[in-house]
Amino acid sequence: MKIGLHCRLRGALALLAISSLCTAADLPTDSIYQLRAQLTTQSGSTAGLDLYRGHPTLISMFYTSCPAACPMLITAVQAYESHLDKKSRARLRVLLVSFDAARDTPEQLERLARLHRTDPARWTFASAAEPNARRIAAALGFSYRRLPDGDFEHSLLITLLDSRGRILTRTTKLVGDAQFQARLQNASSPGGYVPTSLGATPPP
Amino acid sequence: MVALLACTGAAGTAASPEDNPFLPVAGAELRSALPRDKHDTVPVRSFLLQSHPVTNQEFLAFVRTHPQWRRGAVPLALAGADYLGAWSGPLDPGPGATASQPVTRVSWFAADAYCEALHARLPDWYEWELAAAASAQRRDARADPVWRQQVLDWYSRPAGKMLPTVQQGSANFYGLYDLHGLVWEWVNDFNSLLPADADPEKFCGSGALTLQQKENYAVLMRIAMLGSLRATDTGHLVGFRCARDAGALP
Repeated sequence: MKIGLHCRLRGALALLAISSLCTAADLPTDSIYQLRAQLTTQSGSTAGLDLYRGHPTLISMFYTSCPAACPMLITAVQAYESHLDKKSRARLRVLLVSFDAARDTPEQLERLARLHRTDPARWTFASAAEPNARRIAAALGFSYRRLPDGDFEHSLLITLLDSRGRILTRTTKLVGDAQFQARLQNASSPGGYVPTSLGATPPP
Repeated sequence: MVALLACTGAAGTAASPEDNPFLPVAGAELRSALPRDKHDTVPVRSFLLQSHPVTNQEFLAFVRTHPQWRRGAVPLALAGADYLGAWSGPLDPGPGATASQPVTRVSWFAADAYCEALHARLPDWYEWELAAAASAQRRDARADPVWRQQVLDWYSRPAGKMLPTVQQGSANFYGLYDLHGLVWEWVNDFNSLLPADADPEKFCGSGALTLQQKENYAVLMRIAMLGSLRATDTGHLVGFRCARDAGALP
């Protein structure tokens, strides 16, 4: 608690707090929320990577002008959460971060949210400018590269975080990863998931 | 005279920016070894790159002013447990890490934070590759078999000895040292070099077939090695240097 207060004080003093990586008292050392990376959400407000702290969260990266893979990613996340029971789904949150901040304005992100009819109470589309996008990608093990023609090449990777930002599991399958589905159900169930491993890659 | 002495004294304890200057590398159309469909070359803008890998002395100055990056203070999400593992203590590199050896056992996040503190950034892969293509005489020596062999010799040198200090060899065309032959170096986009979702372990199989310049083993090994790292990894032979956009104010 003492540490937490100390950090907040330091954060308030520092003008650029992005790189001031205080360990919050109640944040596990392997939580990706240790990364202080700033996002701009579809409503135009700024938020931290930990905006869904307290909830199991599915997180991935994308860009809106992506012709095929990204709409599929959104549909895939919707499919995974559609298999959850109602109470579990209500606990789950979804954060999709664009690495194309120049083109993915809040308006663009909001349009995408409407198009896919995502639940605004549980889903957030956001964008991260460099260097934050690269840092988030590094934390998730997500790769993206701008091609000379302005397009991007990138991973298809969905990561499940526990309520404190620890990576529980991930999938590169857009459909039918039964193991991922089971862990998602487990993590989202009321009563919550009790992690058995502190590692970033828990046993399947 | 007194002032002169004072200056000399200070230079022994703190790294000054002149110790590792940012040197210009002219932009070019780079024929990269990375697998790229459609494009033969990629445009690389002019940029500045530090003369040699960041040393223990330089990194010590950084952790002195940035306590959150001291060993023991960095969360596991940002650096593995072996972070700065060769140092004697959080503020003491000790005999295992001398002042002018390159700092190693630093995660990508730590390297990134160091460069940000210098109002700089890590170089992108293409920038690093462009700078590292130069011999002492030529901007692009990659077609020269003699130079290629010199570069390759490093990989066959026995490991396990103490790391050499920086700037032992000769400078390349740009005045840069140690791009080959000392340590691996983090680049900004280290985790995006291989085709998305390529399994690094399969790199030597089918993935390698898509790489260009197959004769340029040294660079291919570097791509494979960087592609297999996680951002929190703290390898004994992995260091870094920083870059800046040309024209950017320090």
